[in-house]
Amino acid sequence: MVYFINDIITGALIGLLYSLVAMGFVVIYRASKVFNFAQGELVIIGGFIVWFTTMQAGLSLWLSIPLSLVLAGLVGYAIERLFLTKLIGESVFSMVMVTVGLLILLRGLVLLLFGPAVRPFPIIFPLRPLFLGDMLIPMNLLLGGIITIVAAVGLSWFFNRTRSGLRMTAVAEDHVVASSMGISVKASIAFAWVLGAILSTIGAMIFLSGKSLTFLASDIGFAALPVALFAGLESIGGLILAGVIIGIIQSLTTNYLDPLIGGSLGSVVPYIIMLAILLIRPTGLFGWRTIERV
Amino acid sequence: MTYQTKRGLRGLLAAGAIAVAATMPLKAQAETNYNLALLSDFSGPYADIMPILAGGREAVFTWWNETRGKELGVTLNYKNYETRYDAAQVASLWPGIKSELDPIAVVGLGGPDVAALSERLPDDKIPMFMATAAYGFAWQPDSWIFNPRPTYSHESAGFVNWMREQRGGDDPLKVAILASEASPAYVDMAKGLELYAEQHPEVIDLVEVIYTEVQPTDLTAQMRRVVRAGAEALIIQTNTSIVVAAKRGLQANGANIPIMMSSHNGLPASGSALGGLDQLEGDFEAYGMAIAADEDTPARQFYETLVAKYGLEAPWNVVTAMGVSQGLFVVSVIDHAIEENGAEGLTGEMVREALFTKPITTEETHGFLPSLTFTPEAPFPLEGLKVNVGTVKDGKITIEATGADIPDVQKW
Repeated sequence: MVYFINDIITGALIGLLYSLVAMGFVVIYRASKVFNFAQGELVIIGGFIVWFTTMQAGLSLWLSIPLSLVLAGLVGYAIERLFLTKLIGESVFSMVMVTVGLLILLRGLVLLLFGPAVRPFPIIFPLRPLFLGDMLIPMNLLLGGIITIVAAVGLSWFFNRTRSGLRMTAVAEDHVVASSMGISVKASIAFAWVLGAILSTIGAMIFLSGKSLTFLASDIGFAALPVALFAGLESIGGLILAGVIIGIIQSLTTNYLDPLIGGSLGSVVPYIIMLAILLIRPTGLFGWRTIERV
Repeated sequence: MTYQTKRGLRGLLAAGAIAVAATMPLKAQAETNYNLALLSDFSGPYADIMPILAGGREAVFTWWNETRGKELGVTLNYKNYETRYDAAQVASLWPGIKSELDPIAVVGLGGPDVAALSERLPDDKIPMFMATAAYGFAWQPDSWIFNPRPTYSHESAGFVNWMREQRGGDDPLKVAILASEASPAYVDMAKGLELYAEQHPEVIDLVEVIYTEVQPTDLTAQMRRVVRAGAEALIIQTNTSIVVAAKRGLQANGANIPIMMSSHNGLPASGSALGGLDQLEGDFEAYGMAIAADEDTPARQFYETLVAKYGLEAPWNVVTAMGVSQGLFVVSVIDHAIEENGAEGLTGEMVREALFTKPITTEETHGFLPSLTFTPEAPFPLEGLKVNVGTVKDGKITIEATGADIPDVQKW
């Protein structure tokens, strides 16, 4: 029974990591209605920035972590300025296609700038897990879970209670209407990309702490996709619940069903949930329902 | 210049050219060129090891051209083709490769090359030679694709037998496998050992086969199950990221189960990804090829020759050894084909036939490979199979066992 509870807790924490990466999707979507297919690549870019500032530049973690977050924000800003700002007012589809191109470009850039070698990622969170009796909780996931919840509460407050957040929501509704009301669409979208890149970098630190860094890590972007769609693409608070549910189901499948079937159903289960949600409730658990008058 | 003058000048030039050609040394006139197509992955999942592997095999072709090739009047030309380790890319490149090079052999890299070309090469009558171990799904008679090593499952079964002997006692060795469904090759590696464990319960007690992602989020819970089941060895032949995640999972559980890796995710690559070889103290790499350890072996001496005289810049490690052994495998077969058919008019079909005429001795491959006897029944040698085992001692890679017997593994 202890192990069963332990698996539930670990699953919930892994789910919260997915929620954090999915938060990058949601922040960008809420500001621009653009689904960023390059979210996993932003995690990689963030990971390489952290690796560079710590392992290459030799900075202490206390210095390299804030510096990495600033640099990641600048990368997000540069991406928006270079590729997306000129598409404001154009169809959302063209912006989404740009993110697909971005996915390929960022992978190529990582190879070009850092080379293909597998690198050791710095140990940001303690390797020693937390022992609660017979239960064992990985420290990176535990601290990562706390960071995710704090980030979700903060961002929910920002989007729902502050003027800037509400402006971004207005931008997501309609670029032209928002512009006509005096809201800077460019600034809102740029801020969303900065935020998305910073969240991805925090996700990279939790995901990769003490492990290895390659562009394979971008797969976490796809793992976070079911969480974002399950929650509904506009709900930041909903991501927490969606992440926990998907994480627990995945953990129980991995630990109890996979050994029986001799396969990796645990890797597939989040996508089965995603497809089911898209069929039953396409807006997700907490997504906005749009009513169009014809 | 008048037309007559131009015509006279042209005639004079032609006569001069004929005279120069006639006075050239006989050997240069008789020099025969053959082309090899090298399939490479400089930007895909194995981009990290590709420059080193490519350096190893290309240095061997240079060495052969300047030594044996000169004696025979044969030059092997080669060209790398970027496949991104993608079967679709290989398939789309293949017609162009054929028309551009008309190669007598393909020098392949991995599973996607096998998947893309296994049906085409028999029609095109061009053999492909690999560096890696073989795959169960490609274990078919009358193949045109050949591996100098048996399947990954043969190699892991050989390691398990060796480790059980080292441990002593009659009990089977408790083993767990970590694999991934991300690639058919990764699944294949696990399936063969699973069948061997089923058929030989007195040798292996397979406690669990864990399938995970190629970059796992966390393996602490999985490693706890393996520790609780009393596993004595962990077989990971997939990639370095899974080795790193498993190691961290074991460390979190306060356990130290020896991990067996293969050549492509071996001790240097995984050690580097973990931050140092010392993290893999007591872990193993096992494969049917020379271990790139510090010891002074014939393989090491040949590597030093390639570095000193033939421009090899790659470091002495398992990936370089893989490239060199592949190059030696290819040139040995071509050498046999020339012995059988003469230097002129060699075809891919003749090269393939030469593989079955006589064994490739370990001396021919400078100790990089054991003696290889191919038959048309399988794409790899079925007899005299051996595995070498390397480990980390005091932070250095050392040879733990040479030529450990590989048991009879049934087709799965």
